Amino acid sequence: METLGHDILLVDDDGEIRRLVSKLLRDEGHRVTTAANAPEMREALRHRTPDLVLLDVMLPGTDGLSLCRELRAGSALPIIMLTAKGDDLDRILGLEMGADDYLAKPFHPRELLARIRAVLRRARPSEGNAKTGREIRFAGWRLDTARRELSDPRGVVIDLSTGEYDLLLTFLETPQRVLSRELLLDATRNRDAEPFDRAIDVQVSRLRRKLETAGEVIKTVRGAGYLFVPDVERT
Amino acid sequence: MRAFASSLAARTMLVLLLGIGAVHLLSLWTYRHALDREAATADVTRLADRLLTIRRAVMRVAPSEREAVAHDLSGGPIDVHWSRSEHAVAGGPGSGELAGLAVRLGTLGDDLAPGDVVVGANRGHHDDPHLAVVSLALPDRTWINFSLVEQASRHEDGHGTLLSTSLMALGAMVLSILLVRWLTRPLLGFVDAARRIYRGGETVVVPEDGPTEIRTLAVAFNEMQRRIKRMIDDRTQALAAVSHDLRTPITRLRLRLGEVESAATRGAISGDLDEMERMIDQTLAYLAGDRDDEPVKPVDVAAILATLVDDQIDAGRDVILDGDHGAVVEGRRLGLKRAFANLLDNAVKYGGRAEIRVAAEAGGVTVTIADHGPGIPAADRARVLDPFVRLEPSRNRDTGGWGLGLAIARRIVESHGGTLDLADNTPTGLLVRVWLPVTRGEPRPS
Repeated sequence: METLGHDILLVDDDGEIRRLVSKLLRDEGHRVTTAANAPEMREALRHRTPDLVLLDVMLPGTDGLSLCRELRAGSALPIIMLTAKGDDLDRILGLEMGADDYLAKPFHPRELLARIRAVLRRARPSEGNAKTGREIRFAGWRLDTARRELSDPRGVVIDLSTGEYDLLLTFLETPQRVLSRELLLDATRNRDAEPFDRAIDVQVSRLRRKLETAGEVIKTVRGAGYLFVPDVERT
Repeated sequence: MRAFASSLAARTMLVLLLGIGAVHLLSLWTYRHALDREAATADVTRLADRLLTIRRAVMRVAPSEREAVAHDLSGGPIDVHWSRSEHAVAGGPGSGELAGLAVRLGTLGDDLAPGDVVVGANRGHHDDPHLAVVSLALPDRTWINFSLVEQASRHEDGHGTLLSTSLMALGAMVLSILLVRWLTRPLLGFVDAARRIYRGGETVVVPEDGPTEIRTLAVAFNEMQRRIKRMIDDRTQALAAVSHDLRTPITRLRLRLGEVESAATRGAISGDLDEMERMIDQTLAYLAGDRDDEPVKPVDVAAILATLVDDQIDAGRDVILDGDHGAVVEGRRLGLKRAFANLLDNAVKYGGRAEIRVAAEAGGVTVTIADHGPGIPAADRARVLDPFVRLEPSRNRDTGGWGLGLAIARRIVESHGGTLDLADNTPTGLLVRVWLPVTRGEPRPS
């Protein structure tokens, strides 16, 4: 599905990171342009509009956050921020600047690829409808995609694993439709998940347990997959 | 003495009391002594006067009536008799004290010749109240004998002395308490400051006023604080910078792993990188400490534990979670997750197998994490909660980490107003008990 390859612009001041990430992305079939700083990035953007920008936060001169805002002011270009800071504040900050996702160094190559895939997948349907808010509501529950945080109707934060979060997000993006195990597996595949069919059943049962008080929101459709029952509202 | 006068205030009071007391007693004694001397002189003069007056009175009457008159004039401490010969014998015990009387009689009685006065101490028994006998000759060589009875001694006013001393002491004490309070009040500021310094990573400025010594101390104290803060901050920053900057090379190494042919080598290097990354995370988490800007919200502790336990199960560990769903506390999700992740990692690392129980009670949530490893000896339990401490050798085999896991966990739990205790698991192993209040201020039920 995703093997067609995309145009990706990588902005990072570390030459080795640029070389290594480019190689990684090219091996995945993507086309990569690199830039070491803000002027180079602007130059690259003049030539062609990429499908996604990988943007390092720590850049000499104009920093990544300002660049992110600058990019976002002009377009709905998907952006993933890269940073050496792992702390939450920066992530939120990056997302409020308009980034679609955030990845802390040191990242696993496979996780980078998974995030790129997820952001591109999410970006495609939203080309028509304008970029919406960061909050998704269903059955009184709330998923804050900026914080990657789920709260129940009482406002209690329910912790989710990365796999559960990705799975829930997939359901929320396509509610009331039967999703096959293959599709769910592809959508939620991250660095550690084993490529077994059963793995998705385990993930679904774990997610159901986290959503226990919401009632039966994920229905098993025999022989077909799973279906997310409630209405979903993006704000 | 140490316990009695251990405080500066008590010592100062003691010094003041002893000093004032000593001066008071000394001056009292000197005053009394002078007064006594004065009184003694006056007494002797008065006595001599009286003896001479009696002599003159007896002298004027006829010899036949002299004894009766003498008797009539007796009284008080003086017993008077008339006789043909003197009763007194010069000398005798205590005659020295009466020498003054003899001299006085000689001076006052103009008509007395030196041989006319005989002053003798009482020759009688010791229990005889008569002190002395004074014989004065009459012109016709008959004698008047005065027996001096011990006077009801002018009572030393013992109560008065005691009272005045007590009052003095009381006054000194009240005064010294006020004085010492005033003197030592600035020191309490230091105590307060010293207790609060660097709790939240900031200095506590002590006001630089008061007496010179205190002011100098305050200036030095504030300077010391600034130096300590600078030192700690420098080192913290250096450590944070190193930890932080290591992330880029680790990222490069991870990316380069793709170029490594051998899957076994790839796996090994990847494992090493994971470990390095964990250490950096832990160090940065520890350094970040309380300066945590994650917002506090109601959080389901059971859900956090479920995520962590699932991760452990996925990694092939034998971990069981049991207990209440919906154990909600007000807290920081990522912080609590890190704390419990550290505790779980420890349990499976050292204990192989771990059992986690979560119980929601009124006022709080209790989580116990039990393993079946070697446990931690009671003597080491307090130490092991300190940063950078690892026990040798049983709990330290081929394990990564900085020995920060427990320290971070405790710090996070305590920043939530909770407690973290270590105990023995039965039959073997460690039992970690974490209690978190539903709301931060909630007191722990006993």
